[in-house]
Amino acid sequence: MLKKSRKANAEPNVSTSPVTMVDRTIIGDQIYIEGTIRGEEDLLIEGSVKGSIEMKAHHLTVGSKGQVEAEVRAANVTISGKLEGNINATGRVEITKAADFNGEIKAKSISVEDGAYLKAVIEMEREPTQKAVPLGKPDAKASAESTKEPFVIAGKDSKGS
Amino acid sequence: MAASATNLNQKDLNQHIGLEGYTSNALKLFMKHLDQQPQSRLLDVGPVCQENIRFFAGRVWKHYVCDMFIRLDRYIRKNEPAYQIWKELDYHHESFDGILVWELADRLDEQDVNRLVTLCHSMLKPGGMAVVMVMGDQVASSETRSFVMGQNYRIYLRPQPHLDLPLRGRQNRDVLSMMSPFIPAKSFICRPGFMEFLFQRE
Repeated sequence: MLKKSRKANAEPNVSTSPVTMVDRTIIGDQIYIEGTIRGEEDLLIEGSVKGSIEMKAHHLTVGSKGQVEAEVRAANVTISGKLEGNINATGRVEITKAADFNGEIKAKSISVEDGAYLKAVIEMEREPTQKAVPLGKPDAKASAESTKEPFVIAGKDSKGS
Repeated sequence: MAASATNLNQKDLNQHIGLEGYTSNALKLFMKHLDQQPQSRLLDVGPVCQENIRFFAGRVWKHYVCDMFIRLDRYIRKNEPAYQIWKELDYHHESFDGILVWELADRLDEQDVNRLVTLCHSMLKPGGMAVVMVMGDQVASSETRSFVMGQNYRIYLRPQPHLDLPLRGRQNRDVLSMMSPFIPAKSFICRPGFMEFLFQRE
C-alpha cells in the first residue's frame, strides 16, 4: 500500500538520518512498481521498484525490505535495502550496513557503514582546490616516526613513484 | 553522529592494541602516483570503510569500490568455493591507475592468490601501481581488520566483526614471490610490524 507518514521514526528498520523527514510517502513491501516515479516529497520504499526515480529536492530511502533497480536523482538518499542502479544526489548518500548496492554514486557527500555490501563507482563533488593541495605534511610526531621507523626492505628506488 | 562513533571505536582499538596508528609511506607514494594521472581511476577491494571512501574519492577522478572481503566471507559461510568471488572483479583490461589490495592476499589460499594477482595485473594500466599489506607477527590475528585512513596518511586498524576469514600469515618473501608479474617498487616495515608493498606494472 501507498501510505503517508509524518513521523520520521515511524519505520524502525530505517536508520537514523540527519535529514528531517517532515512528510513522506511509503511504498509498502507488497507493492511492485515499474516505471518512473517523480515526487515533491520524501519517499520510503519497502517494496520493489524498477525504472527511474526523480525527486531532486527530496530524500529517498530504500528501507530494509526495499528492492530497487533504478536510476535515481534525489537530494539525499539513504540505502538500507537493495539498490541496483546509478544515484545522482545533490546532497548526501548514506549507505547502512544492511545495504546491498551496485552502481554509480555521484554525490556531494557520502557515508558508509562498515559491513555494507557494496560494488560502486563513486564520484564525489570536490572543492576546486582539493586536487592542488599537496600531500599532507605529517605533524611533528608523525614526521619523526616516519623518518625513523618505516624503512625500505626491498625495492627499486626510481620505480616507486 | 557517525563520525563521533567512529572516532571512539578507533580510540578504543588503539588503546586495546597499544597503537596510535602508523604513517603509511606506501600510500603517500601511491597517492603521489595517482595525483600525476589525468582522470585517475582507483580500485579498492578492501573492506568498505567510510574514511577511505571519503579520502580516495576526494582525490581521484573515479573511485571504484568492490569489497572482496565481504564477498569471500559470504562464500565461505555458505560453504561454496571461494574462487567464485573472482567473477565480481569483472572490470575491463587496463582499467585502473591504482589498486588497493590491502591484506586480501593474506586471506586467500595459493590458488586464489594467483588468481588475484593475475586479475590485478590485467586490470592495471601499464605503469599502474598496487598496494599490498600483510600483518607482521606482532599483530597477526585471525580477526579481520580494515586499514582506516586518518590524517596525514596515518593508518588505524578497525575490527570488522562481521568478517570471519582465515589468516594465512604470509611473509615478506611470500609477497614478493606471489607478486612476481609486477616490479617491486617499494616496501616498508612499519611499527609494530605491518608490511607495506608497492608494486608497479611494467
